[in-house]
Amino acid sequence: MCFKTLPVEFDDRGNATLRGGIPNPYDVTVAKPHLARSDVERREGIERLVARNGHIKDMNMDPVTRIAGALAVHVTADLEKGAYLDSHAQATLFRGYEVILMGRDPRDAIFVASRACGVCGGVHAHAAAYAIEQAMGICPPPLGTVVRNMTEAAEMGYDNPLHLYLLAGPDYSEAVIKSSNPELWPLAEKWSCVNEHIHGFKTMADLMTALNPLTGALYREGLEFTRLSREMVVLLTGKYPHPENVVPGGVSTTLTLQTLNEFHSRLGKIFDYAQRMMAVWDDIPAFFYEADDRYQFVGYRPTNHIDPGYWDDPYAYDATYENCNAWGEKRWSTPGVVIDGELVTTRLTDINIGWEEFVEHSYYDESSTSRYSHDMLGNPLSPYHPWNKRTLPKPGARDWKDKYTWACTPRWDRKVVEAGCYSRLLMTAMAQKLPASDFISATGTSMRLLVPKGEVGEREVEWRVPERWNAFERNRGRAYHYLFSQLVALESLLEAYKLMKQGEKRVAALDPSALEKAIPKDERVSVGWWGAGRGWLTHHLVMDKGKITNYQICTPSTINASPRDPWGQPGPYEEAVMNTPIIEDVSDPARFTSIDMLRAIRSFDPCMPCTTHVHTGEGEVVREVNTCSCGGD
Amino acid sequence: MADRQTRSPVREPRTPAQELLDELGPVTQFHDTSHLGAFGMPSGAMTEDMLSPVATASSPTRFGPLEKVHAFWFAGASCDGCSVAVTGASTPSLESLLLGAHPGLPRVVLHHPVLNVESGAHYLRPAEQAIAGELDAPYVVILEGSIMDELVANAAGGYWSSQGEEPWGPNGELRPVTATEWVARLAPNSAAMIAIGTCATWGGIPSAEGNPTGAMSLMDFLGKDYRSVLGVPVVNVPGCPPIGDNFNETVAAVLYFLQGFGPLPEFDELGRPAWLFGETVHRNCVRGAYYEEGSFAKEFGDPECLVEIGCWGPVVNCNITSRGAINHVGGCMNAGGACIGCTMPGFPDKFTPFYKRPPGSMASTTVSRMVGSVIRPLRKFSNNNLNREVRWDRQGATPSAFSREKSEPSALSHASHKFYDTLRRSSDTARNDADVWGKRDEAPSGGSPPSRA
Ligand code: SF4
Ligand code: SF4
Repeated sequence: MCFKTLPVEFDDRGNATLRGGIPNPYDVTVAKPHLARSDVERREGIERLVARNGHIKDMNMDPVTRIAGALAVHVTADLEKGAYLDSHAQATLFRGYEVILMGRDPRDAIFVASRACGVCGGVHAHAAAYAIEQAMGICPPPLGTVVRNMTEAAEMGYDNPLHLYLLAGPDYSEAVIKSSNPELWPLAEKWSCVNEHIHGFKTMADLMTALNPLTGALYREGLEFTRLSREMVVLLTGKYPHPENVVPGGVSTTLTLQTLNEFHSRLGKIFDYAQRMMAVWDDIPAFFYEADDRYQFVGYRPTNHIDPGYWDDPYAYDATYENCNAWGEKRWSTPGVVIDGELVTTRLTDINIGWEEFVEHSYYDESSTSRYSHDMLGNPLSPYHPWNKRTLPKPGARDWKDKYTWACTPRWDRKVVEAGCYSRLLMTAMAQKLPASDFISATGTSMRLLVPKGEVGEREVEWRVPERWNAFERNRGRAYHYLFSQLVALESLLEAYKLMKQGEKRVAALDPSALEKAIPKDERVSVGWWGAGRGWLTHHLVMDKGKITNYQICTPSTINASPRDPWGQPGPYEEAVMNTPIIEDVSDPARFTSIDMLRAIRSFDPCMPCTTHVHTGEGEVVREVNTCSCGGD
Repeated sequence: MADRQTRSPVREPRTPAQELLDELGPVTQFHDTSHLGAFGMPSGAMTEDMLSPVATASSPTRFGPLEKVHAFWFAGASCDGCSVAVTGASTPSLESLLLGAHPGLPRVVLHHPVLNVESGAHYLRPAEQAIAGELDAPYVVILEGSIMDELVANAAGGYWSSQGEEPWGPNGELRPVTATEWVARLAPNSAAMIAIGTCATWGGIPSAEGNPTGAMSLMDFLGKDYRSVLGVPVVNVPGCPPIGDNFNETVAAVLYFLQGFGPLPEFDELGRPAWLFGETVHRNCVRGAYYEEGSFAKEFGDPECLVEIGCWGPVVNCNITSRGAINHVGGCMNAGGACIGCTMPGFPDKFTPFYKRPPGSMASTTVSRMVGSVIRPLRKFSNNNLNREVRWDRQGATPSAFSREKSEPSALSHASHKFYDTLRRSSDTARNDADVWGKRDEAPSGGSPPSRA
């Protein structure tokens, strides 16, 4: 393991130290990634082009719909060359949840943090619980962890079809294809679906008709299955999206055989559906790649991904930072970082110490601190690390060269990484460290998943690491992740039966009065590593004298929607848009819909509510008027 | 900012909505549609136009005057959880509202950022038409999430939450338009302003102590005197998240009334649907009888009443225990979650820290423990008797292998049950002496045992 940009070295045992002799080793002018040209120069060049050429359009799409929350995307499109020359992703919402958490009793964190996002339900409540448990040293009993895994796996069962059919699906529907890509429709009518025997659609045109918003059969089936999975979740959590059952040290679910059976019976209906879902999202890329090779580049980005893992081993997880590398690697979904297609680490400590968040292009004042120079194991930390971060919101005028979004800029080793539920497949496939299972295995380049028999027969399917990450592979990966998560639900359910068979009843470590007594009075620092519908989720917590003194949430869509970093590297949405060819017919510029960009953006499953969360230590708004006038628009 | 959050709305001459509009000034122009082209409209048609062939009912099958209603959905400081809750609803479901497939209801033309096919300026075109008074049907505005104090952000040249851009800047330049501003501009001509979820109804988490945005509820924003064009004050469907069915049912109930066949829906003094929020959640709680008998959960996960592990149910207006969270499944206490009062105006700050018994419950739990210590054994006693067939009493033995451990009732309990039976049957008309001439005295197989009474 080594960092390429940050001056951090590792000894044989994996302990990190700062390379000696570098003054200000974390300064943005010292440790910088290699870049061809500066972003400001590039933007100025583009503005000159726009001024001169009529076929270059500078447009802002605000709001981008069929995503969760508020996102706008600005593009500069060269309609003659068929290229997006520039792109800016703007998160247009700030709510200040972390500020609200600061200064509170840690027992408030779970229910307050949960409200950071209502799209994928309980993920924030869980991440907050993990952060508190680490800070307070409370380890949930195995059944508590198993219930959490069941909950969170079932939640993915809602999240993935919601995205594939309600949000992204319409972009591939008859309604959109006939209007945006009319040249594809006759091809679709002729194209016989490879997987007709599984999903039942004879031609691609039939399949596309089923994707039509609200009226299409696949759209409606997807909506129904989101409801079924939500029923599974509320059996354990009481309500959806915000769970009522998450407590520090476990859960408060009253678990009976009825609970398990009701969960089980609903899960049993899902596997046939998962087969159909994968069949649909295998056929769509096959058709598009065949129709036009350029679709390989819609939403393309190099394979740079990050994920902190998901779903704990109930016997390995001990809620400590000290042992996090051991229990982290035993998660159903392995933590890891992949850079340029290489798995560089699976250790949570490496993931943590390489993490920084910048605000150069976001509506915040700079406020990195040097409060913590090392983590609890003595590994060096950056002043931009979330434990050191004290972000001051500062609403101001939009300027593409300066500040233009409420999202901040997380980077790992100062590289642009992407988060997604499909990143779980990638890490787990490459690392080959997942627990032994009859249903899930990893080969180094693929995941093999055994679908248990439902009304249709059992089947083994394989998800292979794609050669090129693009919009189609993200959607395909999401369909396979649906099955992966439901198999984790099955494995966890079986574990719950086993524990119940052993007479195990405890679902939480402490009762309420013991919990109150366990709140430490000294200073504690911790992190909850968890996952969301879109991948990565972390809550970094600092508490002192029994109360929360700093709280930093980092969500997958913050990572993906991030603006330029201090070196001008565009965030994942921006990069993906700039790599996207304009394939739609724009011979008449008035007919330019920007569908290729929309497919690229939506393939990330943007979820903005929790993207813009990050906040001030003071809770005070800096009211000074931003004097930079808008240069770019 | 503190003064803006604490001053009295009663003494303040202008509502926050008026203040914002005064600051921003009137709007005169909108996007030039001829310049928009197809940008952001991949299906070449608005969602409404795509659906209207399937969604429109011919006049003979309409039950009332309305053919369609526009619904503008705006998100302030929200987590989108209310939208998610509504997609889970089934009474009626979202899709049946949008497809005009709920008999008697007008089709609902929903403008929702998570669902619509078109993006960008096209998406906001109907909202512009509503402001200009050019919309082809009445509209309602639904707000999810709280209203943030945009005056503060505006003074710094920015915004907290924006949705779209309009040519409302100086000299007709495009500028981001906040959700708050859209709501303020749409409210005067709206048929109803509906707040969904606790953030929009009472401010909720975004307005909790220590918030930096000055977040407030829709009522706080529009003020006490607000009335829609139908004369209705702000309607509030709280919950964090709300139960999707509570919201859809409220919308449907209002429409049933407007179509002329439904009763006038009743709203309580805070604008909540009274038939949904009139009871405390405790009254319909599946664990309520544990409270009555004085049995309380000690550990998380225990099956008894949750009040001592932090449940506020007895003083919270909510119907989740009877309605369930989705498709009648779930419910906080049903699953083992203590009520944290998420439907209440006092949420969250009047309920924190969580996982701690409400101090006020002390008196009533002490009383119920005392009563319970008497009631519980008596109930157990009767319950034991009712768990026996009459035949077993007669035979003096229970033929169940599961119950081998259980001893037969003592002579004393046998006698008390007999006494109890006498009481029970004291007014039983089967004891009257009419001649039951329709049946033989003796059944062929010997019949049932003679009554002990
Ligand atoms: S769990 Fe809560 S709502 Fe239910 S009986 Fe106890 S106090 Fe009432
Ligand atoms: S029972 Fe309490 S916490 Fe649960 S939904 Fe109702 S008000 Fe909210």
